[in-house]
Amino acid sequence: MASQSNLRNFSIIAHIDHGKSTLADRILEITGLVSERDKRDQYLDRMELEQERGITIKAQAVRIPYTSRSGEEYILNLIDTPGHVDFSYEVSRSLAACEGALLVVDATQGVEAQTLANVFLALDHDLEIITILNKIDLPSADPDKVAQEIEEVIGLDQTDALMASAKTGEGVEDILEAIVETLPPPEGNPDAPLKALIFDSWYDTYQGVVVMIRVIDGEIKKKSKIQMVSTGRTFEVTSVGAFSPEPVSMPSLSAGDVGFLFATMKDLDDARVGDTVTLAENPTPDPFPGFKTIKPMVFCGLYPTEPAHYEPLKAALEKLQLNDAAFSFEAETSQALGFGFRAGFLGLLHMEIIQERLEREFQAQLIATAPSVVYKVTSTSGEVFEIDNPAKLPPPGEIAELAEPFVRMEIHTPNDYVGSVFQLCEDKRGIQQDVRYLTSTRVIITYELPFAEIVYDFFDRLKSMTRGYASLDYEIIDHRPADLVKLDIMINSDPVDALSTIVHRENAYHHGRAVALKLKRSIPRQLFEVVIQAAIGQKIIARERNSPLRKNVTAKCYGGDITRKRKLLEKQKEGKKRMKRMGNVEIPQEAFLAALKVGDDD
Amino acid sequence: MLLYIHVPFCRSKCRYCAFHSMVASDAALVLYVDHLVKEIQARAKDREFAALETLYMGGGTPSLLSPLQLERIVGAVVEHFSLGPNLEFTMEGNPGSLRQKGYLQAIRRAGVNRLSIGMQSLDNDQLKLLGRTHTASQALSAYNRARSAGFANISLDLIWGLPQTRVKDWLDQLKRVVKLGPEHISCYGLTVEPDTPLEEQCLDNQVTLPLEGEQAKMFVHGAELLESEGYLHYEVANFARMGYLSRHNLGYWEGSDYLGLGPSAVSTLGGERFANPPDLDEWMAGVAGGNPWPEPETLDAGTTLREMLMLRLRTSRGLRLRDYRLRTERDFMADFAKIIETLHHNHLIRIRDGYLRLTKEGMLVSNTIIENIFAQLDLLGTDTASSPANHDK
Repeated sequence: MASQSNLRNFSIIAHIDHGKSTLADRILEITGLVSERDKRDQYLDRMELEQERGITIKAQAVRIPYTSRSGEEYILNLIDTPGHVDFSYEVSRSLAACEGALLVVDATQGVEAQTLANVFLALDHDLEIITILNKIDLPSADPDKVAQEIEEVIGLDQTDALMASAKTGEGVEDILEAIVETLPPPEGNPDAPLKALIFDSWYDTYQGVVVMIRVIDGEIKKKSKIQMVSTGRTFEVTSVGAFSPEPVSMPSLSAGDVGFLFATMKDLDDARVGDTVTLAENPTPDPFPGFKTIKPMVFCGLYPTEPAHYEPLKAALEKLQLNDAAFSFEAETSQALGFGFRAGFLGLLHMEIIQERLEREFQAQLIATAPSVVYKVTSTSGEVFEIDNPAKLPPPGEIAELAEPFVRMEIHTPNDYVGSVFQLCEDKRGIQQDVRYLTSTRVIITYELPFAEIVYDFFDRLKSMTRGYASLDYEIIDHRPADLVKLDIMINSDPVDALSTIVHRENAYHHGRAVALKLKRSIPRQLFEVVIQAAIGQKIIARERNSPLRKNVTAKCYGGDITRKRKLLEKQKEGKKRMKRMGNVEIPQEAFLAALKVGDDD
Repeated sequence: MLLYIHVPFCRSKCRYCAFHSMVASDAALVLYVDHLVKEIQARAKDREFAALETLYMGGGTPSLLSPLQLERIVGAVVEHFSLGPNLEFTMEGNPGSLRQKGYLQAIRRAGVNRLSIGMQSLDNDQLKLLGRTHTASQALSAYNRARSAGFANISLDLIWGLPQTRVKDWLDQLKRVVKLGPEHISCYGLTVEPDTPLEEQCLDNQVTLPLEGEQAKMFVHGAELLESEGYLHYEVANFARMGYLSRHNLGYWEGSDYLGLGPSAVSTLGGERFANPPDLDEWMAGVAGGNPWPEPETLDAGTTLREMLMLRLRTSRGLRLRDYRLRTERDFMADFAKIIETLHHNHLIRIRDGYLRLTKEGMLVSNTIIENIFAQLDLLGTDTASSPANHDK
């Protein structure tokens, strides 16, 4: 076993597509941990969905034995970090488990907002940073310019920046040498009371709760009686070890080590990311700082398309929750949709991932309603409470003040698009805070924006108006009072609670008209007239109408046509199952997201 | 028992047609008749069949058969099947192949007592656009010739919803047709089938079909006109004077057993459905190789129920609610209360004397109505599909 001085714990910080996973793969190959033959592309991205989207959702850590050029033997622990703004807390915990980080920057593109946010996070944790200018094999690479940009923007000295191509493997050995030469070994006292940081945890069907820890002080081994600082709950350790890359049991993990532990835990909630693990009999006097209970920020309704699918959907949600402590749900009833669930997510990407997994892994047929943020209501009686479902908003007469969450957002953009970005942020009720030129061609724009405005089409519009060159990072800062109203939608005079949204009064008319039109287009024509109305309180602000279907008949049906005709009708019938029947009107899933899509084509 | 014989030949292929047919050659016709006669023998020997109530020769263009060929076929049928006392024997014919009175007299002598003429349109431009090889005046003289040859039961096929036509064009044409006094009229809405030349023309915007609203009016007003002239609108596409309903086709809609012979012909016998191969050579090879029955499609109780609903609702007599109860031991009005209410409210159905029938407006959207009924059947669960069927036979 390597001594503490021969340990190196590090993360890789990079923007999506800048080559983080490819570099990790090369490191695993060059150190011989994963052979060419049985490697899967991008080993660290385990879930199918992650591979498809090219992003990392859950963090992983790999223990890599490495013999340096001088013949010294080291253990490198590569701690992977999730690569999306929704998961910034998990990123911060992963970084806190390291002494150093590799900053991977695409030498053809330069620094992106999200990378920058993570670099500052790493600097906050006093991490030593090695810059890697990646993709130097590409003709459009301009490493000198990008290095200069990094120096200007972050203030990192780039004299020792490394050039590499994770794709071809060029420069990767130098990176390994730099890791052992430049990054400091972990400090910490193996003889002090146990103090270990949980930087990730998940539920494994066979093993139960898998807890990833970084031991700061002390030692943990099989049969240790451990205690979770945030809850005080105690467990007995059944096994400790590390992923290398397959799980390998070890006699113990001590100060500086990174690895997993299994204990007598049943619930993922027993191993909260950011919590400190200590020994029950000899607890650490100073737990690791910065623990937060993760709070969902975005909510939506999830309803089975048929009442009979309620229990299977519930079972699927429970299974997903086992694996994802950041995801929450509770039962909810909608007048329009019947029995279902209100689910909470860290952000939009998180929501999309969960919805996709429900459909893909659990074959759940569900209707998801438009996402909502959490509003703070002060009632006329002085009571303050939060709502995450617009349908739950009290009548206007009972509301003294309605406050919405605000975010502070940094947008990185080439200067050509500054005007458009301003326009977008102003459209979204943003308040400009700062405009900084990173270089002569790259700008950081800082805005404070209502979170609800980002939940609607913000990312897509930003991407399309900057041709994909802009990137962003945001954090929720506070709740602010605003002139907000509830926009109700009625279909054939019946209010559809699941289609209610909360909007700013100034935008209500435009929004109402656009949503009504979108609904008209997404609801198929039926056997009767369908009237769609948008209303604020008693006032109708928009009306659209779908005329009844007039002709859908098979011209002839004789002996040889019967099977084909029947199968055709049966197939059509299957399509109807994806729709929700409301009164007599069939409403397809897309309609419930109409509010989201407003602005796509108008 | 109904017997259907498919004659898969045409003089030329129409632009809208997606049926299995091929341009005829004399040699192919000879081979076809030989094999058909063999199939008649083989099938008749293989099973016990009830007496034939109807015989229907469709296509394709059965009138491409020579009188001798027809006599051979009929002879084989008479030899191997027993005929009911009041056999309805229909043959389809195209105006182009009904040019000689002698031919018409010959097929009448062979036993055909109902002639179905593919008139399609009385507008020469439209006929050309459809790829028909005859003119309107040829169709009219074929009709008159058939009358003078002694046919007392003639049906005319027409197509509505043709490109660039309006309601008035359709009604004017129907008036001209009614003046001829046919016993039966079939009116088919033009359907753009996939992979037909017509579909290509539509996709290229060379032709435009009337708008949906216009088509709906053609259907409803056309049907009203025919009814006012004494024709019974007895199925979505079929009209007849009293006593001249097509018994053969009614049999399909009421769930009778039928035997189909010839390429692509389908049989439904005792809860099993068999489809002959559509390809002429493949069919002939089958017949020559001992004529095994094709792999059947088994019609379970649920399927039979769905087909009953689908087919009965095409007819103006409608669905007898009691038949639903007999099959499912459930109450249709209760099972479909919500749908019935909506349909009723929108004047798409009528319920009287224990029958549920679609109005003309309802027939026009019958696919959507049946889809809804099928979806509801699924929600009701499997018990509707599993109870023993066919009490009413």
